[in-house]
Amino acid sequence: MSTLEYFEVDSTEPVGAKLYRRIASTVITDHNLLKVLDKIRIFIDPGVPIFVAVGITRTVPRTITVSDLAGVTFDENKITLSIADETYLADLLQILWRKYGKDRISQPDRFTIEIILDENESSGDIESLAVADPTEGLFKDLIYSMQVICPEGFRVKKQNFHEGRFWFVASENTLPEDVMPLVNEQFRIMEAAS
Amino acid sequence: MILVPITYKGGVFRHDEILDLIEDMGGYIIQKHMIAQEVVLQALVPKEDIDILKTVSRPLAGEVIPAPLVGTEIAVVSMSLEIHHLPHASCDVAEYLRTAGAKTNMIGLARGFGKRIGLLSDEERDIINEHDLAIYLFGNFETCIQQKMPTFRRGIKIPLVVCGGPSKETLMKVIDPPVAGYIGGMGRFMHRTKEPDELARLDEIVAEVTRVVDQRRTSIAKDPLSIAPARLMDVILESVPDIHEVTSPVPVVVQMDGIRVKLPYDPYAGRIKEVEIESGIKIADICDLRPSRMRDYILMKVKPFSETGMLV
Repeated sequence: MSTLEYFEVDSTEPVGAKLYRRIASTVITDHNLLKVLDKIRIFIDPGVPIFVAVGITRTVPRTITVSDLAGVTFDENKITLSIADETYLADLLQILWRKYGKDRISQPDRFTIEIILDENESSGDIESLAVADPTEGLFKDLIYSMQVICPEGFRVKKQNFHEGRFWFVASENTLPEDVMPLVNEQFRIMEAAS
Repeated sequence: MILVPITYKGGVFRHDEILDLIEDMGGYIIQKHMIAQEVVLQALVPKEDIDILKTVSRPLAGEVIPAPLVGTEIAVVSMSLEIHHLPHASCDVAEYLRTAGAKTNMIGLARGFGKRIGLLSDEERDIINEHDLAIYLFGNFETCIQQKMPTFRRGIKIPLVVCGGPSKETLMKVIDPPVAGYIGGMGRFMHRTKEPDELARLDEIVAEVTRVVDQRRTSIAKDPLSIAPARLMDVILESVPDIHEVTSPVPVVVQMDGIRVKLPYDPYAGRIKEVEIESGIKIADICDLRPSRMRDYILMKVKPFSETGMLV
């Protein structure tokens, strides 16, 4: 966990905190979140019971565009995309089908997509066409890993992710209407320490 | 004749000689696993004949290891079957106990998680009670273990061994009235147990379970069973041919005070009751047969000598 700037698991039971630190470390590594997490603080009070996780992510990756994953060549009325990275190929095809219609999109081989343009139709700014937003998946991964770290009985959950700051609160009982004081306190401790 | 539980590991080549030898000595083979070129036998062997077995197995590159838990069926109770508890620690514990010869069954509770909301259903309770011993795998917080323990011990009649994150002393302090065994530092974790201190803790579980099982063996020895469960298993294997059609790896499970026969209760119980063990003594005379809550198996509990006045 050396790449995290701040990583702390705190609890009213020190033995439990130590064991949960190991769990958190395993889960974060297993879910490949080390690259995106900058700071994380977890607080567990089994007496209440409450589980609060707050954290800050590193610079969130920007939106993936066509130019990020393919080389674009223009002919008279044909655009050819040479795919370099297949990760988002399925998403790209969906978008192209929606935009141009299936009859005008062909894929002669795995790494090539051809788009037939109508006469007088402009190619548009196809290179900057947005294909995928990695932050959406990142948020899901983050919250999923928090659910895995948190004790299983804590079934009532609230979470938020905004501008690189996220929080996750869970409990076995009903949560208070406003969980922000709990969250803010953990953010305050984290920011004071780092 | 004192029977000693052992594990035999060796090659497939001429392993039938070992099987014959154990049977000729008056021992019982509880489980036999053929894994590729290797044979693993869990057996009960007369104490005075172990050296003969070692001598015979030496040229076959076989190994005779004491396995204190052969002939026991142990329930490893996990609080749920979610990713939080599986595969570590539940599978690690269950698997490690198997190396000591135990037949372990993993029981994932439907609603075992949570300190206030954790529940044990009557079906789960009855299934746990069918075993010789149950290991409860709890979490890392003593507050939770303390609060949920009364719910999870209600109606449980077999010895309990509790595993949890806090130290053994803390577990002993928070669990009242006491249970049969405690293992500290073995709560919830999500990595594979492979470091020396973790393996030492698994050894500690085996030692603690063995201690509890030995206590139970001693108390059974004070009023011995009318028939040794291993012998009863042999009787079933010989006189109920349909048992050989069962595809389960262990069609007859030997417990400390009985056996579990993996045949449906309704069609077979009557037939099994009438099986003659020795001149005029039928199974029904010395055993209680009842339907198991695990599928529709037959659970047979051997009556003690004080009840039947017979030792077969």
